[in-house]
Amino acid sequence: MEIDNKTIEQLITEKHTIALRRGFSVWPRGEFGKPPALGDFRWTADLILSTWIQAETGKPPTNGLEYRVGASGGGFDVLDFKFLPEDQWITNGNLIDTSISLNGRPYDKKIKISVPWYGGGMSYGSISDHVMLSRVRAAKEWGTYTSSGEGGYPDTIVPYKDNIITQVATGLFGVREQTIQYAPIIELKYAQGAKPGLGGHLLADKSTASVAKIRESVPWVSLFSPFPFHSVYSVEDHKKHLDWIKTINPAALLCVKVSTPTDVDMVAVGSFYAGAHILNIDGSYGSTGAAPEIAKKNIAMPVEYAIPKVHKYLVSEGIRDELIVMASGGIRTAYDIAKAIALGADGCVLGTTELVAIGCTRCSNCERGRGCPFGLTTTDPELSQLVDPDWGMRRISSVYQSFQFQLKDILRRLGLTSIRELRGRSDLLLYNKQHPSNDKYKMKKVSKPEEELRVEESVTDSVVE
Amino acid sequence: MVTLSRNEPEYVRYEIKIQPAPDVIPFPSRFKVRVKKHRLAGLLLKELVHYRGQKEVVTSRPCVYGVFSGPVGGFAPREDKCVGCLRCTTQYPEMVEIFRNPDRENLGDSHFTREYVDSVHYESQSGRVPVRGAGYRGKFGGEGWDGMWTDMSEIVRPTRDGIHGREFISTAVDIGEKPLLLQFNSEGIMVGETPHCLTIPIPMLFDAPPPSARTRALTEILVRSATETETLCILPLPEILEFSIRNRHVVPLISLSDRDKLSELGFAPSMIEMEKWDENLYGIIRDQFPEAIVAVRLPYSPGFEDRLLMLVDHGVGVFHLVGSYHGRGQNGEFVRDLISAGHRALVAVGKRDRTTLIGSGGIIAAEHVPKAIICGLDAVALDTPVLVALQARMIGECVDWNNNQFDIREVPVDWGVQRLKNLLASWRDQLLEILGAMGLREVRRSRGETGRAMFQEDLEIEAFGEIEGYGD
Repeated sequence: MEIDNKTIEQLITEKHTIALRRGFSVWPRGEFGKPPALGDFRWTADLILSTWIQAETGKPPTNGLEYRVGASGGGFDVLDFKFLPEDQWITNGNLIDTSISLNGRPYDKKIKISVPWYGGGMSYGSISDHVMLSRVRAAKEWGTYTSSGEGGYPDTIVPYKDNIITQVATGLFGVREQTIQYAPIIELKYAQGAKPGLGGHLLADKSTASVAKIRESVPWVSLFSPFPFHSVYSVEDHKKHLDWIKTINPAALLCVKVSTPTDVDMVAVGSFYAGAHILNIDGSYGSTGAAPEIAKKNIAMPVEYAIPKVHKYLVSEGIRDELIVMASGGIRTAYDIAKAIALGADGCVLGTTELVAIGCTRCSNCERGRGCPFGLTTTDPELSQLVDPDWGMRRISSVYQSFQFQLKDILRRLGLTSIRELRGRSDLLLYNKQHPSNDKYKMKKVSKPEEELRVEESVTDSVVE
Repeated sequence: MVTLSRNEPEYVRYEIKIQPAPDVIPFPSRFKVRVKKHRLAGLLLKELVHYRGQKEVVTSRPCVYGVFSGPVGGFAPREDKCVGCLRCTTQYPEMVEIFRNPDRENLGDSHFTREYVDSVHYESQSGRVPVRGAGYRGKFGGEGWDGMWTDMSEIVRPTRDGIHGREFISTAVDIGEKPLLLQFNSEGIMVGETPHCLTIPIPMLFDAPPPSARTRALTEILVRSATETETLCILPLPEILEFSIRNRHVVPLISLSDRDKLSELGFAPSMIEMEKWDENLYGIIRDQFPEAIVAVRLPYSPGFEDRLLMLVDHGVGVFHLVGSYHGRGQNGEFVRDLISAGHRALVAVGKRDRTTLIGSGGIIAAEHVPKAIICGLDAVALDTPVLVALQARMIGECVDWNNNQFDIREVPVDWGVQRLKNLLASWRDQLLEILGAMGLREVRRSRGETGRAMFQEDLEIEAFGEIEGYGD
């Protein structure tokens, strides 16, 4: 039986989709308090709910939710900015530039992105093609990129290949000459922050027939990518890898994604001399995929420590301006982006933030059974219907808008006109171990309904484009 | 060199057989599910009308894990199935509330927190490495083990693929007294001082359970688990005598008052541990059990390093450094730094390679094993994790050997053995992951290799030292 020309399956999807979207809108307003079981030290309930607000409105929340820092008690969460006195702020926010170049070398294609971030690698299989579409459409709208992850291109995202970074990882899943030739940027993933020193994991339940087809593997068999590249035993082999990519796609910019070992600064220099245009340092506290719990916390350093280490070493080697450093692994907010840049990165790579924008509650069940119950990290045909690509694109795009708005506000209050001027300006940071945000990890009701609160003074309309 | 039980003429790759060992004592669910039933009834009625009686649509539930899959759905939620995804409460904020189960949250104590209890519970139940999505959720760093990260190698390394790889990473360690070098005569025969060691295939053994937790079943579980995993378990001599245990995987723990009972021991142990140093008793043990390796239990008292060196001069080659269950020495310092201090004291006098350091106290998670070894231990003796794996509950703060209260039930021995085998298998696999990531082919090479670890205090100074406010 059909109702309004809709099948039962469509009606079920519609019923849940409407209810979910209502929930994403209602919860952050605070009328039901905060979900008691939502959040953790890194992504507090406040951060998740404020990201939902930003995904809906394109602006940071104004109802008292803490949208700048988490409650981890370290790293970005204990850093503040030394803002100028108000009379020295730049008044015209429209003059502030948030764009960065992704090629600092004097040769090869110049690629500029309008915001200092792009989307991190999340493979088909780890997420649905609807989520991939949402991400890449948002990237296209903002003139930036998103990475394919280690799972190739489902047909639906091929039309967006100009805004996709093709990832070549150790399992070579989904990697073909064609996919290398598709993209303007190729990313060689040596390691990832969530599981440094270990290969990618796609557990059996998520390795569906369609996923396995693209990966040229056997359906319903767990896929553990090897570690590291079995063809790379030295820096010379590393250069050989980059040369190989250049041979297939001479126009491509080359990105090397590495984790954060104690010698990450040396790795950066090695990658530069091997020919990389971009170095993506992926700290150990972020990531979206399945990973052994022991690897997340205990192997390799958090990105907050790695960024200045790499930056300073590249400066001392005289090659800082030629290698673009993108930081990832725990970048949650616009403030994190600004702090990462002040510590020495050129820009950041976002992953979890985008998933939270489209409904992730950070429940950590991504790898379990059919995958994410919100239809994000799953290829289950029913669950993935919960995310409509247009809706997802709008949500991610709105978060981008809010982040750009906040970055401009930060720059304005620091007296800077370009995000590029902020790079390495750790003198503009304050270390505050007793950061008040660290007391915010308490389950409490939002102070007041949104309507009753004024926009924070610091976030004025003058910086909105 | 003493081997415990492996007399096979051919090499056999070490493996701990795992199999599921589900709880025998009910374990509280992670979450509680509260549904406002009158609102649920109202919603169902509304949907019945809206969807014109389409039962499939109306009864389609928001939970993919089966919380509402019972015969009456949301009217009697199955809390044990809730994984905390929050989809139901996201969809229906006015009707469903999910909150953390206080019974679960209150497990453990201030050191062995609920998160660690959860990990040990999963590991001992399944034998597997805990794998989850969505990144790290905890505090940034912290005191002790939390302020320490192990290194990894991006490219150049001899190991491949961690636990999934084909290349072998050894987790075997030697316990005993070792000469710095071996000497051979012209005929190739070893002369001079010879190693007096035993090799265990994993750097983990079982410490003696505290008096408050001892049961016959627990003793049997420990002995069998140690035997089946080819490691050791430390047990007080009176207990060994009471239960007539004769097993070379058992390490008798000898106190001064046990002196006269030594002759009653019905087997020649491979290792004996003295509860505290006594020169006279040490001599008696050496005389009576010349083949046994003799270890001395040494608390982290102020100046314990000097005592360590003094005992080395007396010929002691194996030490069991003992911290509180909360990982503290007697002066309150965390064991991480105390292990390092002990290790470095021996290095400074050139005697580290002659001795073996076993440590216990505060080592309650898989990651603590490699971290403790990097700080300077050769092996760890597991204490409280063993009890938690067997579903013992901590009542209040379980601070040390004497100050603790465990609610430990009588559990089936076979089940208990499997739980401990699962725990060791999981921790060993996680050790392999760490070693694989570092590019080390054997755990012995990580001992004292603090260069293969990163410490928060060092990283902070390097990264944030120039930032205003740092150090204030």
